Amino acid sequence: MAITGRQRKQFWNSIQIVLILIFTLIMLVPIAWIALAAFKQHVDVYQLKLFFTPTFENFQTVFEKPYELGEKLKNSTIVATATVMIAIPVATCAAYSFSRFDLRGRTILLVLILATQFVPAVVIVLPFFVMFRDLGLLDTLQGLVLVNTAIVMPFAIWMIKGFIDGIPIDTEEAALVDGSTRLQVIRNIVLPMAAPGLVTACIFCFIIAWNEFLFALILTNREAVTLPVGLALFKAEEGDLWNLLAAAGIIIMVPMFILALIIRKHFVQGMTMGAVR
Amino acid sequence: MAGISLVNITKRWGNFIGVDNQSLSIEDKEFLVLLGPSGCGKTTTMRMIAGLEEPTSGDVLIGDRRVNDDLPKDRDIAMVFQNYGLYPHMSVADNIAYPLRVRGVAKSEIPERVKIAAEQVELLDFLDRKPKALSGGQRQRVALARAIVRTPQVFLMDEPLSNLDAKLRVTMRAELKNLSHRLQVTTVYVTHDQIEAMTLADRVAVMHQGKILQLGTPAQIYNDPRSLFVAGFIGSPAMNLIEGEIKDGAFFADGVRVVETTLQARSNLILGIRPEDIQVVPQGQGDFDAPVFASENTGESVLMTIHAGKQRLTAKADRYATAAIDEVIGLKIDRSHIYLFDKTTEARIDD
Repeated sequence: MAITGRQRKQFWNSIQIVLILIFTLIMLVPIAWIALAAFKQHVDVYQLKLFFTPTFENFQTVFEKPYELGEKLKNSTIVATATVMIAIPVATCAAYSFSRFDLRGRTILLVLILATQFVPAVVIVLPFFVMFRDLGLLDTLQGLVLVNTAIVMPFAIWMIKGFIDGIPIDTEEAALVDGSTRLQVIRNIVLPMAAPGLVTACIFCFIIAWNEFLFALILTNREAVTLPVGLALFKAEEGDLWNLLAAAGIIIMVPMFILALIIRKHFVQGMTMGAVR
Repeated sequence: MAGISLVNITKRWGNFIGVDNQSLSIEDKEFLVLLGPSGCGKTTTMRMIAGLEEPTSGDVLIGDRRVNDDLPKDRDIAMVFQNYGLYPHMSVADNIAYPLRVRGVAKSEIPERVKIAAEQVELLDFLDRKPKALSGGQRQRVALARAIVRTPQVFLMDEPLSNLDAKLRVTMRAELKNLSHRLQVTTVYVTHDQIEAMTLADRVAVMHQGKILQLGTPAQIYNDPRSLFVAGFIGSPAMNLIEGEIKDGAFFADGVRVVETTLQARSNLILGIRPEDIQVVPQGQGDFDAPVFASENTGESVLMTIHAGKQRLTAKADRYATAAIDEVIGLKIDRSHIYLFDKTTEARIDD
């Protein structure tokens, strides 16, 4: 029996679905394991039991002494929020200038900004430590905000610039002729039109700052410890407290899931916005 | 209301000269069209009036005021862009209201003025829509309404019809003409379409390579072109431009005696003659005879392309004319509408 084109298509479709399922499984199993472990007693953690009496005890324990995850949660929230609040407005100004003004050495500057992303963090973390020690910024939230802003900035500039580039220059010139100052053009025309892009950039930056581990590990020790570093607390003498680690991991991940859901919507919007021609 | 003066204005980008030391005076309430092929400097000239481009040297005056250093918003102008430049995140009403809002017109006054402007361009039913939900012609109307909602001293229009389809372009052209007649505001209009220029303009400035070659009424530009470029650019089908020489009291093209003339002998010439000024007559009854190369019926007329030596000429015959290819026909030239140009300088030679 000859194989028709339609059958062949169906065959490849099923292969695709199987592959997607395999990869989804590989991605999701660790997360599922964490999600289960977070609700288990310590003794059950190493058993691959799917059915057990769930307990919320872990979520309580991590907020109690000596772990005090609440403190870290607060630090992480402050650092990530402050980073976004500083980085996005500044990056927007920079992106607008790069996009619209004929700056001397614009291309070189843009490439340099991008190049900072290629320097491995491990290489520069020690100089940072020395600088921060001399400046008295070690173990402070301000110091972490500074570092995180530097980390997300290039990324934010490039991303927002992309969105501003997509706004037709005619629209801005029309607004200039209609009676706006340059700042009014930015406020009334550019920002609303780039809004989906700005939201996406905000969330991406928040996620980067929220998950940042290396600098927080080296530059903090007691006062300004963030969530990812806080996870290390659960290595105790009696071994890794996986049930507590898992509970803390859930606390780190859940806000990220919510944010990812929000961006997904805006991301599509940003892609399809397009100019009115 | 005010006129516009450009005084020795130049725009240069590095070595590239966009506009080359040109002066132009636009009268109050005049409709002036800047006409030329792309890259001739017409849009740059308009953008310098708008303040979107800074002149390298020279002065821009609106009324009696030198506006070189004024921001676009301080020049009291309104502009319609080729791509309309609408604000996609605002409704039609908000688009039209924007110039009023940003200039601090009283909030209570705005809806009424938006309504009046929208009414003039027949947009009343679309005020709540977003630009995305409008057709090209409707978007063009929004851009127009946004320009007329204020009464600026000057309207600037940058190829406003070029994104519309052919049929709509004709309709909108008539509407623009009517609108500009009612509003009586000084208007500068940029286009590469000579029909738009002819139909809309009080005066046309034909630009080429950063220079204004000729400034005059549409009739002057059409009937009295001062240079080879203007002669060839204006008119559709284009003017016939035939190389040749004058000897023995006639113009010869490749040895073909085209038309008699009283001018003295001279070589290195180009003869310009519009297709509608060449009459198709039976063989032997015209100024010269020639074989037909092609005959094209456009409906309103028949375009006959014939050979004069190696060069081709087009004549506009009446709509019922017929001729077979290679048939020899006679051609009679209207002597009051022939133009002679020097081939080297491209300047017109007056008779």
